[in-house]
Amino acid sequence: MAMRVVALAGNPNVGKTTIFNALTGMRQHVGNWPGVTVEKKEGVFEHRGERFLVVDLPGTYSLTAHSVDELVARNFLLNGNPDVVVNVVDATSILRNLYLTMEIFEMGLKNVVIALNKVDLAEKKGIKIDPVKMSRALGVPVVPLSAKEGIGLEELKEKIWEMAKGKIKTSPILPRYDPEVEREIEHISKCLKGTKLAERYPLRWLAIKLLQRDDEVMKLVLRHLGEEKLREIMTHIGEAEERYGRAMDLIIAGQKYEFIDGLTHEFMSYGKTGETLTDQLDRILVHPVYGFLAMAFVFYLVFKFVFAFGMPLQGLLDEAFSSFGSWLAPHIANETLRGLLVEGIVSGVGSVLSFFPLVFLLFLALSFLEDLGYMARVAVLMEGILRKFGLPGKAIIPLILGLGCNVPAVMATRTLDEERDRLVTMFVNPFIPCSARLSVISFLVGVFFGGNALVAVSIYVLAFAVALLSAKLVSHFVSGEESPFVIELPEFLLPSARSLLLHSWERSKEFVKKAGTVILVGSVLIWYLSNYPVPMGSGRSYAERLGHLFAPYLSLMGLDWKAGVSLLFGVIAKENVISTYGVLYGSVDAIRSAMTPLQAYVLAVVTTLYIPCIATIAAIRAESNWKWALAVTSYMIAVASLLGVVIWHLGQLLGL
Amino acid sequence: MNMIVPLLSLAPGERGVVVDLRGGPNFRSRLYAMGLAPGAVVRVISFHPRGPVIVEAGGTRLALGRGMASRVLVRKL
Repeated sequence: MAMRVVALAGNPNVGKTTIFNALTGMRQHVGNWPGVTVEKKEGVFEHRGERFLVVDLPGTYSLTAHSVDELVARNFLLNGNPDVVVNVVDATSILRNLYLTMEIFEMGLKNVVIALNKVDLAEKKGIKIDPVKMSRALGVPVVPLSAKEGIGLEELKEKIWEMAKGKIKTSPILPRYDPEVEREIEHISKCLKGTKLAERYPLRWLAIKLLQRDDEVMKLVLRHLGEEKLREIMTHIGEAEERYGRAMDLIIAGQKYEFIDGLTHEFMSYGKTGETLTDQLDRILVHPVYGFLAMAFVFYLVFKFVFAFGMPLQGLLDEAFSSFGSWLAPHIANETLRGLLVEGIVSGVGSVLSFFPLVFLLFLALSFLEDLGYMARVAVLMEGILRKFGLPGKAIIPLILGLGCNVPAVMATRTLDEERDRLVTMFVNPFIPCSARLSVISFLVGVFFGGNALVAVSIYVLAFAVALLSAKLVSHFVSGEESPFVIELPEFLLPSARSLLLHSWERSKEFVKKAGTVILVGSVLIWYLSNYPVPMGSGRSYAERLGHLFAPYLSLMGLDWKAGVSLLFGVIAKENVISTYGVLYGSVDAIRSAMTPLQAYVLAVVTTLYIPCIATIAAIRAESNWKWALAVTSYMIAVASLLGVVIWHLGQLLGL
Repeated sequence: MNMIVPLLSLAPGERGVVVDLRGGPNFRSRLYAMGLAPGAVVRVISFHPRGPVIVEAGGTRLALGRGMASRVLVRKL
């Protein structure tokens, strides 16, 4: 029998993901909604022998046509035929949460269960809610729960089951507006009555959406009923707005809240709202001076944590892979196969995988800050600075994630509201040095600059400066509305270990996937190019011949053909730059005597900026299109070449 | 009759009722979906001369850019 479909809808920050995880456990599948790059999460749970497919809709405040997320959620509710809609409502901010609930009800959905989350927290704040009365007032079942503590989940499953079985009769309450607005709704409903549209969508919903000048519904009317009908309706709305002296959507929103407010008096009472701990913390955390100091301290702790635990683990893993290689070698008789497996695959994939602890720990720390609610504060702090470069404050999250790995960082641009912001943030993200480039930078700084941290820092500063200035430049060419700066500052809440691990794993597994696919193929390719027709070191391998091709170009920035080979292999994964140098020179000392510090610095800068690795290019293509991925790639090559040439000549002028 | 002023001009601790949102459809819908609709009571939590305005409305804490806060008109309470 087919699975019953449960749609999970709700505002951001209400614990929707926690409920989703608690319901489905590890039985999850993450994909994309068709045609858009909005994440689609699905999971399965069983109750009373019945299987349910839970679809986690994007967290939204409303269901307008203004953002992709809202449109995706709305289209699924309208056309996805969910058997049950679970609307997660945050008990600590009922008024705002019920706004979405009313929009769901107005869409004509009847099989709705309200999951009233965070009831324990609401109680602490002195908010008293009677779930029975609330259920009566709304006309649908209400299940109080605290998802974080695991309370109420069984009841929720039971209600979902009962509703799917048709054992519950509901009568969702519809908001009533002022008589004049109701008259407009009536009038437009009459215009649409008996048409094809009215068969597919609730009349009242269509009418209200038209009054709000909803783009998608206007398109529907245009497509199904023709231009004349649309013009007739819109003229009527224009006249009504003329009478009111303000936009209809504003009037409807205001009256909807008024209606909700009246409703809440039937089932809840507010206690005294004193200042919470979050209020007090925010006084410091979003303060224009103390906030930045606090942020610097928090990120210092993050990197301290990541490197203190990650570096030893990286060393261990690296050793483990090379001992596995040496153990494996004698077991393979065929020389070609041995080379391919040991030198190609095990050492290539192994060197990338050994960075996994660093990447995972960074994502663990950042997910903790995000789930805690701190990242929203960072976004607020950064808004002023990033906006000067054409980016919203929220873009700081993908930028920081890029320090771990640019692939999940590019994917994290999905959290931005405007398409334009996504494109620009994606464009500049590969400039942010990931952990692989950190290994190149720290190697070169270690060998040529005695490990002087300031030299490494200068490369990071340069990379961030290039990223920001490029954002400023690119944002001129990408059209689109500037996203309004309004960010919710959720109550600070310690995330549960389980959801934290799930969250960080979801991000870091992209890194593992990349090691298993792109890097695997790349390692084999590198092995082939450097061993045929004769092994590298002879000067006649394919790799070396390719390197010589780039030599004239690279000589402009003081680099030779060996850099050409290394940078070529670095396209597959940046850490290859160093391992290739290792193969070409044979020892660290040989590398040291082959380059001046200035050349090493140029190499570090160029490696950091010259091209996104292929996994990142693939991620950009997946999140936008080929043209954009190609644009990023050529732009980066141009910028890196330019800076390489400038630094090389400037350095020589200065006598370095 | 109380004065109608931009939200930006309220001091920390002061409250007002939203009467109008002066901006395009995207701006309006974002704000009222997050609780700042006509009729909503807002309280300014904190406010810095150059930073964003932090307000509370309907049990939610929001950070607003100064430009946005100047386009939200409130009746001072």
